[in-house]
Amino acid sequence: MQGYIVFLVIFTAIYAVFGLGLNLQWGYTGLINFGHVAFMVLGAYTTVLLSLRGVPLIVATMVGAGVAALLGLLIGFATLRLRTDYLAIVTIGVSELLRLIALNEQWLTRGTFGIQRFPLPLANFIPTMSVRILMMAVLTLIVGMGYWRWWKWLRRQVKDIPSEALLKSAPTALGYVASLGILVFGIGAIAKHLKSSNAIPDWGLGLFLVAAFAIVIVSYHILTKRVSTKLSAWSSGLLLVCHFLLAALGLWIFGVSASAIYDYDQNPAKNGLMFVSVVTLALIFWGLERLVESPWGRILKAIREDEEVAKALGKNVFWYKLQSLMLGGAIAGIAGALYAWQLTTVFPKNFEPLVTFNAWTIVVLGGAGNNTGTLLGAAIFWAYEAITRFILEDIIPLNESQLNAFRIMVIGLLLMGLMVWRPQGILGKKEELTLGR
Amino acid sequence: MVDERSKGTEEADLSSPPLSPSPSPLPSLLSAKALSKNFGGIRVVDRASLDVRQGSITGLIGPNGAGKTTLFNLLSNFIRPNDGEVIFAGEPIQHLQPHQIAQRGLVRTFQVARVLSKLSVMENMLLAAQNQTGENFWNVWLRPGQSVREERHHRERASELLESVGLAHMAQAYAGALSGGQRKLLEMARALMVRPKLILLDEPAAGVNPTLINQICDHIIRWNQEGMTFLVIEHNMDVIMSLCDRVWVLAEGRNLASGTPAEVQHDPKVLEAYLGQ
Repeated sequence: MQGYIVFLVIFTAIYAVFGLGLNLQWGYTGLINFGHVAFMVLGAYTTVLLSLRGVPLIVATMVGAGVAALLGLLIGFATLRLRTDYLAIVTIGVSELLRLIALNEQWLTRGTFGIQRFPLPLANFIPTMSVRILMMAVLTLIVGMGYWRWWKWLRRQVKDIPSEALLKSAPTALGYVASLGILVFGIGAIAKHLKSSNAIPDWGLGLFLVAAFAIVIVSYHILTKRVSTKLSAWSSGLLLVCHFLLAALGLWIFGVSASAIYDYDQNPAKNGLMFVSVVTLALIFWGLERLVESPWGRILKAIREDEEVAKALGKNVFWYKLQSLMLGGAIAGIAGALYAWQLTTVFPKNFEPLVTFNAWTIVVLGGAGNNTGTLLGAAIFWAYEAITRFILEDIIPLNESQLNAFRIMVIGLLLMGLMVWRPQGILGKKEELTLGR
Repeated sequence: MVDERSKGTEEADLSSPPLSPSPSPLPSLLSAKALSKNFGGIRVVDRASLDVRQGSITGLIGPNGAGKTTLFNLLSNFIRPNDGEVIFAGEPIQHLQPHQIAQRGLVRTFQVARVLSKLSVMENMLLAAQNQTGENFWNVWLRPGQSVREERHHRERASELLESVGLAHMAQAYAGALSGGQRKLLEMARALMVRPKLILLDEPAAGVNPTLINQICDHIIRWNQEGMTFLVIEHNMDVIMSLCDRVWVLAEGRNLASGTPAEVQHDPKVLEAYLGQ
């Protein structure tokens, strides 16, 4: 369990870093980058190849980020003067181009054989007790700051609602969420039993699942409508309950991660990488938040809205777009280094366009132009991965390849549902969509 | 105040700098000489010339399709001219990028007011301030204090300007929530935030109710009295008459006439261009 949580934390952090780069380019600057993985390829291969030649890891990573930024410069000079659609086409082309180069230039990348046995961060590090406590303290600090921000945000959400009304609606909301959870869990348990005992044919099980979930969804939909008309602070109560449950889940994951640091020696490579990726993510998130709140970030947002206005107000639009593309690329390059360390082997196949679109899913899910949303999107993406990988195969009457297709199909359905009911993304601002030009 | 001249369709006259024998003590702030622009085979602006004197409110009028907005785009270099020269504050600017022209103090507004709708009204204003320390990527890290101080200063000035155009109560609202007229006001206030030498206003009164038109005119006159120079495109002749010291008339991309509003209004060539025979 500990090992799997560590794995999830690492991947969530890597994809969050990767998504943050895309969010800077698309969410804040409006640059449509369909080849984000290109920056990751460069970051990953540069870091790995340099570290194999004895360059210290941190230097190799910085060079990797720099090379990725250079790619941003190149793409930018070639396309940023054109309309944005061309950028989308060029970026997807460049990402495939780089992957094919990595596949074919075997003298450099060993092609499909992949590169193995490259140095990993903190893999041979044997921390003393005090160092491990220090590492846990750093993690605690990061998580604590995250929770502090979260708490402040939540306070703002409910500050206009009288506390009596909240106290009244919160238990109802808790009952609502708990009963829903128990129902879903019960359906899953029954389906698991039916599947393992082969009591009914596959189509029967499928029918049972579809019917059960349809009934639950419809009845809870009706229930929500009735409750929300009776309880004034219903949605705020539900919000609070959901956030407290998520916060508890987060604390549990934090606890497992901290204990993994405590048992560092059990798997030094993974535990060290988890520490490195979480710290990297925290630093990049903090830096980006600071940047987008600065006058620099304001220019990026202005370019996203209307670059002619930015020009008319004396801003060098081309240069700022270039900076955004380069910085987002450098961040993706760092994500590439982390990705390579997590995989421990880099194949060109790891960098297919799907990776780019996973990042898009994450950014769209969380809400474009919102760094916290990107973090949330990455967490949801990997939570979904974890849940479906371990649970679905027990309860759904499909074979493995069908199941893989099914999981992707559900992501598509979820995204479509999101676009219909909450097109601004989970943390996006509804008002922003309804504003006219 | 203005010399009588028989210019218009005569080409030779246009190449010479206009208004050189002017008795006015005010120097010329912006002068365009023989600007031309072709779109495909169509000559939209044909050797048009223009002169804006320091401290004036100069009008630019002409029938629809006369090339007024294109001329604005040529002056601010949003569209590159095929031919001609633009002198601003004594220096040629036609080789500069649009943002460099804005940085030198020539700021334009748009025919349909363009606000950054997903930024707040205040952010729209703050964006316009020039030479902000925090606009440089490295300064965000190296000089945070200075950046914050400047931001406070800009915020004060933006508040004053918003107050003066009656948008102070909307400062924290999304600019996209403003009405059409309010957007015009915001755009003008934002242009002033640049601290320009000259503001090009493209139809400040278009699509605005009469009360607000009067307000807009009052604002322009007040800012002019405080020393700002304006070049205004406008169809509403009342606005032109009440605002402008001097008017240039454009028709089919060419200079047709220029003079005081009263002179231009009675010029037979202008009447013909506007009304047909």
